[in-house]
Amino acid sequence: MNFTRWRANHAPWAGLRLFVILVYVFSLGPILITAAVSFNSGNRSFFPPRGFSIRWWERAFAPEWLEPLWFSIKLGSLTALAATLLALPMAFALHRYRFRGRDALLALTLGPLMLPSLVTGVGLLQLFELLGLREYVGFTALIVGHVVICMPFAVRTVAISLSTLPPNLELAAASLGATRWATLRHVVLPLIKTGVVAGAVFAFIHSFTDVNLSIFLARPGEIPITVKILGFLEFGFAPTLAAVAVITLLLPLVLVAIVERVSGLGDFIYGDRK
Amino acid sequence: MIGGSVADPALRLSRIEKHYGSTVAVAGIDLDVAEGEFVTLLGPSGCGKTTTLGLIAGFFPPTAGEIYLKGKPVADLPSFRRDIGVVFQDYALFPHMTAAENVAFGLRMRKVGSAQAAKRVQDALDLVKLGGLGDRRPLQLSGGQRQRVALARALVINPAVLLLDEPLSNLDLKLREEMRVEIVSIQRRLGITTVFVTHDQGEALVMSDRIAVMNQGRIEQLGDAASIYEAPATRFVAEFIGRMNLFTGTVTAERGVRIGDSTFGIEVPPQMAPGAAVHVAIRPERARLSAARPSEGVALAGTVRQVFYLGATREVHVDLAHGEKGFVELRNDGSDAGVQAGSAVWLSAAASNCRVLPAAAPGGRP
Repeated sequence: MNFTRWRANHAPWAGLRLFVILVYVFSLGPILITAAVSFNSGNRSFFPPRGFSIRWWERAFAPEWLEPLWFSIKLGSLTALAATLLALPMAFALHRYRFRGRDALLALTLGPLMLPSLVTGVGLLQLFELLGLREYVGFTALIVGHVVICMPFAVRTVAISLSTLPPNLELAAASLGATRWATLRHVVLPLIKTGVVAGAVFAFIHSFTDVNLSIFLARPGEIPITVKILGFLEFGFAPTLAAVAVITLLLPLVLVAIVERVSGLGDFIYGDRK
Repeated sequence: MIGGSVADPALRLSRIEKHYGSTVAVAGIDLDVAEGEFVTLLGPSGCGKTTTLGLIAGFFPPTAGEIYLKGKPVADLPSFRRDIGVVFQDYALFPHMTAAENVAFGLRMRKVGSAQAAKRVQDALDLVKLGGLGDRRPLQLSGGQRQRVALARALVINPAVLLLDEPLSNLDLKLREEMRVEIVSIQRRLGITTVFVTHDQGEALVMSDRIAVMNQGRIEQLGDAASIYEAPATRFVAEFIGRMNLFTGTVTAERGVRIGDSTFGIEVPPQMAPGAAVHVAIRPERARLSAARPSEGVALAGTVRQVFYLGATREVHVDLAHGEKGFVELRNDGSDAGVQAGSAVWLSAAASNCRVLPAAAPGGRP
């Protein structure tokens, strides 16, 4: 095989390979570095780590860190549940009906995706104070805020799966004697299940990793792990933080892996279902 | 409109209309379908046939009019409270259920006991010759098999009326012709009242007891295949079913028809007044060609423009002296057609093979 042909066949692939490698280096690299740093034996964060110790990991499992972690899990789960339950009827209405104000509702639902959540956070804080609900800042306000910023993900994935339904299925069910409720239960829901689960997972992850909004709505004792990490950073980056960061990172990763295994989450990220 | 009254119809449409804003999809239809009858709604796309089927199925309410199923008014009932079975163009099988579960769905909704349901599902699958494929999912079935599952699903609930919405149009030609015969044979065997929607005149002619030819939201003509073909009531029907020569003429005072400079003694419907503009319709296979002028019927002089050899037939296109064009279909019976481009000929037809239709703008032929 002469050189010109070799280059024609291999050069594009070599370029693609390099690109993929760079993607991996820049997305996985920081994580691996953080993980490595957490095993430093000294008080400072060196990379490559100097010595080996798991004492920072022991500290990471102290109540000081486990409490905000557990708080974030609770917050994320409730947010995912509420956002999905709200998203279902909303996506259904948007998908099925052409009504006045549909565009406005669509914009309102998807708006928080485009708005910096920092702004949403400040706005919500002011709203709670204006309404005299100052004492609800903390868990309640966080739930409200997180549902607002996470719902677009759920609405979107549910809407995508609804749009993949063959057009006449619901009419077919009705013609066979199924009430609207029975149609929803036996035909629609089983077919959009994956989209619903994907929406809930996205909502959970978005809630779990949010710091911009949470920073305004948290209060002592009701602090998500991300805000806690940010607060700790003021005192510098200790290896403990590296350990905590790895734990915080693994949780959504494991969740995504499980759901991907069960229901093919990738379809929603890469748009195979569209 | 044409009512087509039947004593004790299984299905009766009474003056039904469906409007979408200012668009009129169905403009007032009366139709009676007798118990066990196979009636086809035939027309071009946009003629309102599928909308009419949707109204019978209850997928949307009519703007006006009433629908009776076995004598009971059902226009206000939602689809799931009507006793109907529907086969959709895209089959609309539930992709997450097996063929058997699809067929069982209607029975499940009717709370039929599981032992009885299993037997009825098996019978229905046997009926459509899918006995062994009950546990396949729709994606594992061919187009023809999906169609059979859809048919079994609609039949297993013993509906008062079976509605078929272009069920054959997604199949390839050979399968389509096979399914035509099979659907009719199942329908006859079960004696199930059926309304079939199609734009394919061949399907309509082969399958139906009666055909309702629809155009612009109305039934233009209702009748059996032969009467629709032999005696079309309007220019639209004449042109939509089969092929037709249409010559422009005027009714004369002596109740003949003048085409160009000649007057012909053919039967003019009594409601047409002298001076009325009409079309004389002649089927190409009923028209004849001759060198000498025939003595009776319609005879128009012309010159052969082109002869098409089609195997079983020859098609001879003639430029007529009075300015219109005509064509004749000659059976290829072994004799020499005796015509070629440039021949001077008479295009003629016996009076009994000519139909006089009211002149109208060409219909909405696709």
